[in-house]
Amino acid sequence: MKYSYYPGCAQHGTAVDYSMSVKAVFQVLGIELEEIKNWNCCGALHVLDRTARVALSARTLQSAKGLDLATPCNLCYSNLMRANTAYEDTSLKNRINELLVSKYDGSTKPKHLLEIIVKDLGLLKLAEHIKRPLKIRAVPYYGCLLTRPENRFDSPENPKSLDELISTLGAEPVKYYYKTKCCGGPILITNEDLALSLAKDLFVMAKETGADCMVVTCPMCHLQLDAKQKAVESKFNIKIDMPVIYFTQLIGLAFGLDHEELGLKKHLVKVDALLNKVVK
Amino acid sequence: MSNKIYIFTNLHVFSCTMIEMIKNAIVPESRDLAFRDRILKTDVGKKIPTCIQCGICAGSCPVSHEMDYTPRELVRMVQLGLKKEILNSNTIWICTTCFSCSVRCPREIRPTELMEILKPIAVAEGIKNKNSKFDRIFSDVVKKTGRASEFLLISKYSLEEPGMIKQAPFGLSLIFKGKLPLLPDKMEGTDELKAIFEIKASETKEKEKKEPAEKTAETEVEAGK
Repeated sequence: MKYSYYPGCAQHGTAVDYSMSVKAVFQVLGIELEEIKNWNCCGALHVLDRTARVALSARTLQSAKGLDLATPCNLCYSNLMRANTAYEDTSLKNRINELLVSKYDGSTKPKHLLEIIVKDLGLLKLAEHIKRPLKIRAVPYYGCLLTRPENRFDSPENPKSLDELISTLGAEPVKYYYKTKCCGGPILITNEDLALSLAKDLFVMAKETGADCMVVTCPMCHLQLDAKQKAVESKFNIKIDMPVIYFTQLIGLAFGLDHEELGLKKHLVKVDALLNKVVK
Repeated sequence: MSNKIYIFTNLHVFSCTMIEMIKNAIVPESRDLAFRDRILKTDVGKKIPTCIQCGICAGSCPVSHEMDYTPRELVRMVQLGLKKEILNSNTIWICTTCFSCSVRCPREIRPTELMEILKPIAVAEGIKNKNSKFDRIFSDVVKKTGRASEFLLISKYSLEEPGMIKQAPFGLSLIFKGKLPLLPDKMEGTDELKAIFEIKASETKEKEKKEPAEKTAETEVEAGK
């Protein structure tokens, strides 16, 4: 299996831990991720001009050179999907193609890494590599943009793919009603109070389930829930202490990979208690 | 008897005030029909006239309690063309772009995308706030370097928003973990990106050239009614 790979900006910065675990896990799985040359930012939610944003993603999609385009980030994934939908409008497509050095025909399929593992590889194949079934309870947290607005890979209301992945690894996915509720990540910089209160709601619900960790699929959610967890604790004067890990890190742990190789030492919330449970 | 009259008078005063309030809210002068039509003509706007005001958008929104107007109200205000109230509200900037409203709307209106098309209009009308600042800096960084380096973004934003100094310890904790590289990540050759960012500017100018003519036509139609 081989994919073109679009890491997105966060993989070179705040999501370096995600990046490490993706490399390690995909190597074990034998899935080749070939990074596209000279990729550009997808515009996230902050390039306000919608046409420019479609054009940014079109340039990236074009660079996939006929392969499906894998991406680790919910935000990039959503922008790429939306660009393809926008490209169904021929006049917009022509206008944008005039600007691009290489024209894009609208045919590249963007795929989130979770989709590749659950749908393309399949959980049975994944299970063959498990060396250490995880005896833990985990919150499956999908965030917003993995399944919205395009709704092509999993349900936007009650997605199950991450739940199934967690079960396959031997762990128990807890019932979590906020699995697709916004974590506040996109407004973290400009409206911190509101962003932290959204995160607090997620944490309170996660604590109630008695889970050992939250599992995320997006660098933005991770920044908000891991790096900003302390800020939530001090703002609302509550104790959370909830490890937040990427789904690829969870897979890596079940594969018996070293936690440092998976970037778990780079988290701001300590994962020691979780690791002790995993190793036991 | 006198008691009854008293109640009646009070009711009369009350209903007069109500009528006045409603009048104040939607007098013909507060409606900008060219603005309304500009929105309705977009791909996002074409379904807006079909809104049944069910409120599922407002109920699904994780942040509607903080908004000046909920998404439901915003859609109605677009129908009415209340440009000033819409563009000056915090609603479009509070939206976290989670798309919950958009996947649930029974009329397939996408309020999230409505917010997206309103933002650049607000900026063009001179609205400035933390969000518009951050968005401008973000676009600028991407245009110049091709990528959104977090350190560069935050440094530039902090220069314009001194309150960000409070975030310094947080930034340091990320740097210590090796999660905030100080050297910006760059792609090679950004001419193509410059063209991408400039396309819209020229297109908007063309639109503006066309629009005054349309505006008169619409106003005349409305006056004829």
